[in-house]
Amino acid sequence: MKTERNLINIASVMFVLNFSILAFYSLICATTTFRICDTLGAHDFLNSVRQIPRYPWQMPVQSLSLYALLCAVSFFKIVRPIERFSLRVGICVMEIALCAGVFVSLNFYYSGVALLVLADLVHYIRSNKMRLCFIVILSLMFAFGRYEIVEQFTNGIAFDAYLSYYNPVIQSCFTSLESLMVCLNILLFVLYMILLFTGQKEENARIRKLNEQLNQANDQLRDYAVNMERMTQMRERNRLAREIHDTLGHTLTGIIMGADAGLALFDVAPEESKKRIQVVAQSARDGLTDVRRSIKALRPDALEHSTLAQALEGLVENFRLTTSARISYFQEAEELKLDADEEDALYRVVQEGLTNAVRHGRSDRIEIRITRNGDTVSVSIRDNGTGCGALEEGFGLRHMRERLEMLGGTLVYGNLDQNAEDGYTGFFITVCLTVRNRKEE
Amino acid sequence: MKKRMWKWNAAALLIVLLCLSLAGCFGNKETVLTIGVYSGSYWNTPNGNCYQILDDAIALFEESHPGVKVEYVSGIPSSDYSEWLAGQIMMGTEPDLYFVLPEDFDLLVSSGALAQLDERIAEDPEFDTAVYYEPCLRSGQSEGRQYALPHESVPTIMFVNKTLLETNGITMPDNDWTWEDFYNICAQVTNVELRQYGVYGYSWLDAMYSNGASLFSEDGRSCYLAEENVLEAIQFTKRLGELNGGYSVTARDFDEGRVAFCPLLYSEYRAYQPYPWRVKKYSAFQWDCASMPAGASGANISELHTMMLGISSRTRHEDLAWEFCKLLSIDEDVQRKLYTQSHGISPLPAVAEDPELLLQIHNDIPEGSGFSPEMIHQIMSNAVVAPKFNAYSQAMIMVESAIQGSANNQLGQSGMLIAESEINIFLNKS
Repeated sequence: MKTERNLINIASVMFVLNFSILAFYSLICATTTFRICDTLGAHDFLNSVRQIPRYPWQMPVQSLSLYALLCAVSFFKIVRPIERFSLRVGICVMEIALCAGVFVSLNFYYSGVALLVLADLVHYIRSNKMRLCFIVILSLMFAFGRYEIVEQFTNGIAFDAYLSYYNPVIQSCFTSLESLMVCLNILLFVLYMILLFTGQKEENARIRKLNEQLNQANDQLRDYAVNMERMTQMRERNRLAREIHDTLGHTLTGIIMGADAGLALFDVAPEESKKRIQVVAQSARDGLTDVRRSIKALRPDALEHSTLAQALEGLVENFRLTTSARISYFQEAEELKLDADEEDALYRVVQEGLTNAVRHGRSDRIEIRITRNGDTVSVSIRDNGTGCGALEEGFGLRHMRERLEMLGGTLVYGNLDQNAEDGYTGFFITVCLTVRNRKEE
Repeated sequence: MKKRMWKWNAAALLIVLLCLSLAGCFGNKETVLTIGVYSGSYWNTPNGNCYQILDDAIALFEESHPGVKVEYVSGIPSSDYSEWLAGQIMMGTEPDLYFVLPEDFDLLVSSGALAQLDERIAEDPEFDTAVYYEPCLRSGQSEGRQYALPHESVPTIMFVNKTLLETNGITMPDNDWTWEDFYNICAQVTNVELRQYGVYGYSWLDAMYSNGASLFSEDGRSCYLAEENVLEAIQFTKRLGELNGGYSVTARDFDEGRVAFCPLLYSEYRAYQPYPWRVKKYSAFQWDCASMPAGASGANISELHTMMLGISSRTRHEDLAWEFCKLLSIDEDVQRKLYTQSHGISPLPAVAEDPELLLQIHNDIPEGSGFSPEMIHQIMSNAVVAPKFNAYSQAMIMVESAIQGSANNQLGQSGMLIAESEINIFLNKS
């Protein structure tokens, strides 16, 4: 903020200084013209310059009014900020045009106004490309907008010709004043630029520091998430252990004790022994129910409250919403009521398949087809992604295969034909699972 | 905020409208054409009513162009006119149309103060450059382009002291006389003991012009100092000078009637030959004028000085200025008046060679005049115009000093060749 105020102060001083310089040149030319005529030196002057001068009023009026317009545009820009980029560039172009107008009206005696405009525009335009463009244009104007250079192309009178009217003392006074003001303008410009760029550097450093802090926070969050997962796993294991201990442990202990008692009584009181064994059998059945209940508690949440078909639809819908992939889902099996572990396995296959297609294959079209032929349920998933370079079984696929093999199913996967006409050129997974006949139970 | 902006806009609009209406008011006023004029005569001769011709022309012009007013600043002596005009140009207030003195022509052209007239001349069906003597028209040209129109011309002619010739038993020379005739008469007249001399003020330049030579090229880029006919002219003037036995003739000798010949401007002849001015000057002897003597490879050619009219390149009434310029330059009535009242020769052959007019002009001359229409035609159509360019005066100084140097060192043509190349280098640099 302090830098900003300093910049505005320097720019203001530059505006006033440039006004004085323009006034200096144009008024010297105008008043010298009058003096030359008053002292009957017009013929000699014309003879030495061989050029008709412009109207004496023309230079001060034109250059100072164009300069005033330039100041007004520059001021307007600060007072009423403009958002549209094209308008901003338009204003800059207008300032450059006015600057060129000042040059011409002052007969190219002074090109320092270009520095003023350059300072003004570099501050105003933040786009690096535009900035570079303006810097090049205005630097060229500053360097080449000199009378000595454009003399060949214009028909103006050199400033020195006017100065030569005066005696050497006054001449040297004028030239020193001139160079003093011109140098001051350049110094102010350099100061302005230094301030501007150091200010920007500080701001950049601040942004970098903030960025670092943000990255740190992100790392911490990631660590936290890993810890959290580990803790959840731990808790889950403890629960499983507790569950096994409470149900299986308890039931098995009862079965062992009942069986022992049955064995002991077998010869002595066969009737009593039979009763005992019946109790053991009942207890084992109860235990199995308990185990089933425990396993049920570990199922995916979706399957807990709904059927497999509903859960799969929900999963696909969720995926559609969270990723941009188009998912074609065909549920062609009429009845899809399976055992919990089978449902679990199929649900996990579809979940893993979708995740892989999007994460590794980067595909945006995925097809899922579920069919049932008698007791065999098959799920095929294919996509239009990049496929898999070297077919190496990762953790997800291995886990999927192990889960299916446990249930007696098969898993086939691989890359699809690159030239497939239906557009599915990525990866495929096909699962076949022979389900248990529920009626047996 | 918005309301205020509206107010400002309305105010700005009002100001613009006001300006426009003001401009309209002034625009409807009568057009004023300004003319730059000097008073008196440029030719250094007395002139009674110098503005009479101009006033008459203005009256004529205003009559034929209603709504136009022609104005000029009076009372600027011709000696101050150059400075006055330069001052006006510096201030940007120069007249729309102004008289261009021969010596200012180059400055005004090279500084761009004069408008180029070629296009106008080509477009104007009434205007035909053939009505002028070619040398008069050429005076207003620079690098082949016309910048000014001739108004009045004055050639150099040879003043002849008839009384002196008669006392020596010599007849008045013909108008087609040569250097040899000239030299012989001078030789006969010259008598250093009696303080009688042949010629006063006859420079090598006069000799050069009548020897068909020119010192510089038209564009002022090369000098012809070592050309044969230039050297002849220099030699001839040297020979003439040697007749006086080292004495250099003065103006006083001439005024006292001790010199037979002297080149002078036609205007002086016109001013001092008729009554009453003849009593003021050269009253002690009879005198008349002849054309300049012809050189070996030239003719009876004299130098021509032409007063011109130019249009300012910044004028806003270019059409009117052109019309008025034409009126002063090619209108025969204006030119006739000018011919009778001023002391120059009209640039129009139709006027300058009109026998009636010549009779009227020469009526005042007691012994009649040798200036027949044929002689005027011969002088005017063969006259030369000294080239005008930027470095002319500096180059002339170099030429003079080279001639002086070669006279002292007896170097002859080789010395001139060296000087010529030096001057050429200078001319190409400047």
